[in-house]
Amino acid sequence: MAEIANTLFNGLSLGSIYLLVALGLSVTFGLMGIINMAHGEFVMIGAYMAYVMQQIFAALFGRSGSLYYIAAIPFAFAVTFLLGCIMERTLVTRLYGRKMDSLLATWGISLILQQAARSIFGSQGVNVNAPDFLKSGIQIGGCTFSYNRIFIICMVAACLGAVWFLMNKSSFGAQMRATMQNRAMAQCMGINTKKVDCLTFALGSGLAGVAGCSVALLGSVDSTVGQSYIVYSFMTVVLGGVGNLLGTVLGAMIIGFSSIIVEAYQSASIARAIVLFMIIVFLQFRPRGLFTIRSRSLDE
Amino acid sequence: MRRLKGNHICFTVIAVMLACSPFLVGSSSMVQFLGKCMCYSIVAIALDLIWGYTGMLSLGHGIYFCLGGYAMAMYLRLRDNGGALTDFMQTGGLTKLPFFWKPFLSFPLAMLLVILVPGVLAAVIGYFVFRSRIKGVYFSIITQALTWAAYSLFIANSKYTGGNNGITDFTSVFGSTRGVANRGHLTAMFFVALAALVLVYLLASWLVNSKFGKLLIAIRDGENRTFFSGYCVNQYKNFIYTLSAVLAGIGGALFVNFNGSITPSQMTIAYSITMVVWVAVGGRGTVIGAVIGAFFINLCEYNLSSGALAGIWQYIVGAIFGVTILFFKGGIVGIVKEQIPALFARLQSAPAAEKEKKEAA
Repeated sequence: MAEIANTLFNGLSLGSIYLLVALGLSVTFGLMGIINMAHGEFVMIGAYMAYVMQQIFAALFGRSGSLYYIAAIPFAFAVTFLLGCIMERTLVTRLYGRKMDSLLATWGISLILQQAARSIFGSQGVNVNAPDFLKSGIQIGGCTFSYNRIFIICMVAACLGAVWFLMNKSSFGAQMRATMQNRAMAQCMGINTKKVDCLTFALGSGLAGVAGCSVALLGSVDSTVGQSYIVYSFMTVVLGGVGNLLGTVLGAMIIGFSSIIVEAYQSASIARAIVLFMIIVFLQFRPRGLFTIRSRSLDE
Repeated sequence: MRRLKGNHICFTVIAVMLACSPFLVGSSSMVQFLGKCMCYSIVAIALDLIWGYTGMLSLGHGIYFCLGGYAMAMYLRLRDNGGALTDFMQTGGLTKLPFFWKPFLSFPLAMLLVILVPGVLAAVIGYFVFRSRIKGVYFSIITQALTWAAYSLFIANSKYTGGNNGITDFTSVFGSTRGVANRGHLTAMFFVALAALVLVYLLASWLVNSKFGKLLIAIRDGENRTFFSGYCVNQYKNFIYTLSAVLAGIGGALFVNFNGSITPSQMTIAYSITMVVWVAVGGRGTVIGAVIGAFFINLCEYNLSSGALAGIWQYIVGAIFGVTILFFKGGIVGIVKEQIPALFARLQSAPAAEKEKKEAA
C-alpha cells in the first residue's frame, strides 16, 4: 500500500514538473505556433535567478534564510517575462507563420543564452539551498512526502489556475484567443494584436522562469539544466494536443506516471527511451494528440 | 541551365583545392581536419536532401551519423584488438563478444552494416512517422525525442557501447594516420573521403534535377496538392529519408577514420542541430550550399574556438545562425546568387532613377 502511494506521489510530482515547464510552452507553441527552443534556457534563467536571490539575501542579512525563495519566484517571473518581451519584439515578431524557422532562430538564441550563463556564473553548477520550511517532509502511514515536492505540486496547481483564469475569464485572455484564432478579424475589432503577441510570448517565458525556480530545488543548476526538460515538455504539448490546456495537463501526467512506473522495472535511461517510444506509438493512432481542435483546413 | 553550371564549377574548384591540399598543407592535423570537413559535408548534403528539398526538418541526423560511425568504429576496434574483448566490455563484466559485435569481425560485413543499420532504422521510423502523416514541426519534435532516447540508450548500455566515452583507441582503415611516417595512410584515407564526397555530390545533384527531385520540391511546397495529384507522398518521403540516413551513416563511418574515436556526444540533439546550422548557413535547397556551409562553419570553429575568441565562439555561432534564418534565408549561396545581384541592380538603377527625376523636373 505504502509502495503504491509512493509511486503515485512520485509520478504526480514528476508529472507536475513537466507540466510546469510545458505550461509556458503550451502558451507559446500551442497558442502562438512558435517553437521556442530557448524555452529550456528561460527555465535555466529562472533557476539562476533563484540562486541570485539567495546570494543577495545572504549578502544583505548574513544568511539567506527561507524568505529569499518567496522573493525569488516573482523575481524570476519578472526577469524572464522581460526577456521574453525583448525576444518577441526583436526576433519572434519576424517569424510568425514560419514555424520551422522559429525553431532554428530560437535555437541560436538558446546557444547564446547558454554561453552567457557560463560566462556569468561559471561552468560549474551552483546550488540553491531549499528554504527551511521545505526541508523536511510529512510521514503518513510509512511513506514520506517531502514538502519540497508537495510545494512544487501546489505551485503547479496555482500556475495552472492562474493561466486558466487569465485565458478563459479575463478580457486579456479573450483578446489573446481572438488574436490567435483569427488575427485579421481581431485587428478589425480594435485589438492591438502586436501588444497581445508580445504579452502572450512574455507570459509563456515568465512561466518558464517560475518553472526554473522549482527546478532549482531539485538539483544543482548549470547552463544545460533546461535541456533535460525541454524534450519532455515538447512531447507533453504534442501528446496533449496543441493549444489545449487540459491536454497539456493530461499529457504531463501520463508522461510523469509512466516514467515512474517503467523506472520501477528498468534503469532511468531505458525508461526514458521506452516512454518516448510509447508516445510515438500513441501518436500513430492520434497524430494530433489527445485533444484536437477540429478544423476543416488540411494544413495548418 | 546557367545556374546549374555555376554550382558545378564551384564544387569542382572546391574538390580540386581539396585534392591538392594533402600535398600543400604541412601539418597532419590540418589534413585530418579537412578530412573531417568532407565527412561533415556528406552529412550536410544528406540533411539538405530532406530539409532543403523535401521540407522535412530532422533534428535527429546525429543518430544516423553515429550509427554509421559506431559500425565502422566497432570493426576497427576489433581489428586493432585482434578480435578480443574491448576494455569497456571487460569492465562491464562480459566474458565473450556480444552477438551483435560478431559481424564486425569481417570487413565486408561491417561495410554492409554501415549502410544497413542506419538505412533500416530510418526506413522503419519513416514508415510509421509518415504513415500517420506527422509532418512539419511535429516531425522535428519527434525526431528530436528519438535522438534523446537513442542517446540515453547508448549511455546506459556502457558494457556494449562504451557508454559516455564511446569507442576509442583505433586507427583508420589503412592503419595509423598520426605522425610523419604514416602520412601515406592519411593521404589515402583523405582521397577515399574525397571520392565519397564527389560521388555523393554527383548523386545528390542528379537526384534533385531528375523528375524525382522535382517531386521532392513539390512535396515541400505543397504536400497536399502533390498527394491529390496521385503521388504516394509517403513513399517518396520515406525513400528520401532513408537515403539521407544512409548517406549520413557513410559520412559517420568515414569520420571515425579521421577522428580516431566516436562518442555519444555526436548523437545529441545539440550536435544534430549543428548539422542543420551548416545547411542553413550554406544555403538550403542547393547541394553546393550544404558543402559550403559545412566547410565554412567548421573552418570558423577550427580557427576561432581555440585562442582568444574561445569564450565567445558560441555567441558567434548563435548570432550567425539567428541572422541567417531571419534575413538570409538562402544562406551564403542565396547571398551570392540573389542578394548581391539585387543590390547591384538597385545601385545601378538608383542613379538612373535620380537622373530621370531631375530630367522630369
